[in-house]
Amino acid sequence: MKTPAVELRGVWKNFGNTEIIRGIDLAIEKDTIHAMIGPNGAGKSTIYNLITGRYHVDRGQILLNGEEITNQTPHEINRKGISRSFQVTNIFHRMSVFENIRCGMLWHRNYKYSFWNFLGRQGELNRRTEEIMVRTGLASRRDVLAGMLSYSDQRALEIAITLASGADVIMLDEPTSGMSHGETEQTVELIRKVARDKTLVIVEHDMGVVFDLAHTISVLVYGEIIACDVPQRIRGDRAVQEAYLGTEVA
Amino acid sequence: MEVLVFSIFNGLLYGMLLFMLASGLTLIFSLMGVLNFAHASFFMLGAYFAYQISGFIGFWPGLVFAPLIVGVIGAAVERYGLRPVHKFGHVAELLFTFGLAFVIEEVVQMIWGKVPVPYDIPETMNVAAFTWRGLDYSAYRLFMLGASVAIFLALFVFIAKTRTGLIIQAALTHPNIVSSLGHDVGKIFMWTFGFGCALAGVAGVIGGNVLGTEPSMAITLGPIVFVVIVIGGLGSLWGALIAALFIGIMDNLSISYDLSLYPVLALFGVEREVEGIMQDLVNLTTAGLAPVLPYLFLVLMLILRPRGLFGTRDV
Amino acid sequence: MAGLVRRHGMWVAAFAVMLVLPWIFQTGFAITMLNQIGVLIVFSLAYNMLLGQGGMLSFGHALYFGIAGYFTAHFLNGVGEDWLPYFPVTLLPIFGGLIGLFFGIGIGFVSTRRAGTVFAMISLGFAEMATALTLILVVFFNGEEGIQTDRMVGPEPLGITFGPDIHVYYLISFWCLVATAAMYVLTRTPFGRMSNAVRDNPERVEFVGYSTHRIRWLAFALSSFFAGLAGALHALNFEHVGFETIGLEQSGLALFMVWIGGARNFVGPILGAILITYLNSNLSDITDAWYLYLGILFMVIVMFTQGGLSGLVFMHEPIWKTDYRLFGRMMAPYALGIGSTIIAAIGVIGMFEMIYFLSTRVTEETIAVLYWMEVDAASALPWIACAAITAPGVAACRRTYPPMANSYNEAIAAVKGRMAP
Ligand SMILES: Nc1ncnc2c1ncn2[C@@H]1O[C@H](COP(=O)(O)OP(=O)(O)OP(=O)(O)O)[C@@H](O)[C@H]1O
Ligand SMILES: [Mg+2]
Repeated sequence: MKTPAVELRGVWKNFGNTEIIRGIDLAIEKDTIHAMIGPNGAGKSTIYNLITGRYHVDRGQILLNGEEITNQTPHEINRKGISRSFQVTNIFHRMSVFENIRCGMLWHRNYKYSFWNFLGRQGELNRRTEEIMVRTGLASRRDVLAGMLSYSDQRALEIAITLASGADVIMLDEPTSGMSHGETEQTVELIRKVARDKTLVIVEHDMGVVFDLAHTISVLVYGEIIACDVPQRIRGDRAVQEAYLGTEVA
Repeated sequence: MEVLVFSIFNGLLYGMLLFMLASGLTLIFSLMGVLNFAHASFFMLGAYFAYQISGFIGFWPGLVFAPLIVGVIGAAVERYGLRPVHKFGHVAELLFTFGLAFVIEEVVQMIWGKVPVPYDIPETMNVAAFTWRGLDYSAYRLFMLGASVAIFLALFVFIAKTRTGLIIQAALTHPNIVSSLGHDVGKIFMWTFGFGCALAGVAGVIGGNVLGTEPSMAITLGPIVFVVIVIGGLGSLWGALIAALFIGIMDNLSISYDLSLYPVLALFGVEREVEGIMQDLVNLTTAGLAPVLPYLFLVLMLILRPRGLFGTRDV
Repeated sequence: MAGLVRRHGMWVAAFAVMLVLPWIFQTGFAITMLNQIGVLIVFSLAYNMLLGQGGMLSFGHALYFGIAGYFTAHFLNGVGEDWLPYFPVTLLPIFGGLIGLFFGIGIGFVSTRRAGTVFAMISLGFAEMATALTLILVVFFNGEEGIQTDRMVGPEPLGITFGPDIHVYYLISFWCLVATAAMYVLTRTPFGRMSNAVRDNPERVEFVGYSTHRIRWLAFALSSFFAGLAGALHALNFEHVGFETIGLEQSGLALFMVWIGGARNFVGPILGAILITYLNSNLSDITDAWYLYLGILFMVIVMFTQGGLSGLVFMHEPIWKTDYRLFGRMMAPYALGIGSTIIAAIGVIGMFEMIYFLSTRVTEETIAVLYWMEVDAASALPWIACAAITAPGVAACRRTYPPMANSYNEAIAAVKGRMAP
């Protein structure tokens, strides 16, 4: 079997005395789209936070392309190739849209902590930034301060920053929440295009989006994965229907 | 031996004064996230008010009224000064209190002048409480110690037993939680701030006549109080107590014993008679180093244990 | 040449102004003040690299300024007394910068793990430690007297002796311009941008691959370099470095200059340095209460604006960029608002001056000079007069501020209306 892009082995997480994540085993194949679904408070965002180093893992291992990344700092994990977005918009409020996106790109285009490169002269960097801005529909907002954007534009910017790194593994946490129907469709198209040669993990409450995009789906309930399979079989899974999907899909 | 005992005693005293300031500061910090730079300025106001009041009607009324006035001023500062700044974030609040400390110092100079004022120990207590091996111990110092211990106990009972105390406990362990408790946050903030300032005021009343009541007293003590709450661990009253006592005692010991640090250097083969910059090191004594000690501890603590003695969060 | 002017107009203009200033202000007093302004511009810009660009509020940045000053003074003395090799005085600011950098790297490492109020507390701790050390390490710091030095050492190429203040003026303004340009360029680099990002949202920075600690540390170190450079200039300017250059007072001065001038844009600190140094040299002789007014001004600015004075100006940028005629309607409300403020201030200042006079006088004299008039501060009349000015002034402020804000909002709305197609 190929090494999975992201793999969790027996991952546990407590907050105080509450077990929030209870022994997760999960393997996400390279170059596939994996959706994680589950009711509110199931622990989806927490899993993201564990994978990307925002929270400390209590027990278990996390691997990226077979290499252990458990409990490394967020920036180390990001540099190794996982880029994520946040459910609660997490952007640079006092910087323009353009600057926001460029910040997402700098490290990965090898600028590091350079204080000698004049940003205005970095043609390639700026061109790519513009490109992402166009693809995420933010071009007309180029010089607006991020804090001044409308909510759905901020959501789009959140995704744009995440994509800017060009990482191999992209993890989106409810990317379309707060977007209108039209915007959601655009975003889904964008995600599909971006995901062509990448591994993409997505948490999403919109089942239409999930079943449309995902190659595999895992269902999380109370910190445990109760099913992980291809969409057709998830749809037919009785346990899943009982626990979560209920009427929505049936 | 008697030097040791007396300096520990004086150290406890200084430590308790520090704690009175530090406890208010750490309460305010945990509850509201505000680092009150002007905290020691309220301490100074306490001393000046006590000086003024005791001139008119005596020390004891001063002990009651000065902290009350300081507390009310503190509450007013919170209500009309800090609250509008709150929306700009904690750094803006800190800037505000920095400006306030500056302004209070200027106002104090404006009213009472730049030189120390003669705020003296009350006549009745300016006597020896006991004499031990030929050394007198002043009754006032004993009173200070008693008063500060009493206040300390009252504070702990208040926090352990009352409703407001419970809220404060919650805030100490989980900062910013109070806003989600559904209490009237504005009022709680205002009175906590006022209460913390009043505590500092008490320290000013009972400490001002020993430490000296002058416009620079705030800025000399303020930074040490910051050190105390960082070393103790932000949000930990026990930590603040231990750090305050530790710093108080270290300070007194290093001054009373005034040891030369040269023997340490001698281990490295440094000559006694040296020229130039090295002279500074050879001449170092513990008394000379005393003002630096709290900050040395701060740096060590930051390197070795960033969360402080009893802190639950990293600073 | 034309291209140069077009692309770097501001810098060329600044260079020109720098050259002609001493021809306009020829008095010794003016040159001294200009020198001081030059030094403090560099220092406050360095300070703003931390505060405005990096979101780190420091109460101890004067440490690097002062230390570099001491080292520079010792260096000069060493050259003068021939136990150090000659080093061109013109290049000494670089030496000061390196000293600042050295200490900034060391102290920065421990203090930049966290930002916000905790960073502020730690910075104060280091500042206090250094201040205490100035009184302990007497050979190096020479206690409260500080270190005296003489900048006229070594050869004198082209007759530049650095004897007269005007020579120092050109030295300072040259370095001021170079440092300003360098710090400006820094804001335009990946480091500069990420520094802004750390200020805005440190958490997200970690998720775009950067270590917040590294960025803060680098910002701290570079800022200490420029603070050190300013410190060296200070030593050259006064030929003396005192313990007050290291302590909270000096850091507080930078903080005031930056916040009053405006931390949110590059020119704010420059404006603040010029304004406050100017007021300081002109007012501190006239009134004892000058520091009180400075403190109050600072608090008012903290309470009502985040961008300082330059922020208030730049708030109007969209208006003048769109159509300066929109200002027409704003004239009257603004004039009324500013007018009432001045009236209220006159009354309040009058009272402060009288209190100061009464509490600081050494004789029984009660006749004070207030607003070029002799008044008897012990009588009721001047107090009533001041109150009679203050009360309507404050009342007028309350009436005139809302229309002022309204007229601004309307103008901005008009601008937005024109931008939308
Ligand atoms: N930092 C934290 N401290 C304490 N509890 C937490 C923390 N983060 C998450 N939790 C708890 O963990 C549980 C799972 O939260 P999580 O955000 O992962 O859910 P989710 O599946 O993403 O839900 P949603 O669909 O609402 O986003 C919740 O009960 C939440 O209250
Ligand atoms: Mg979630």
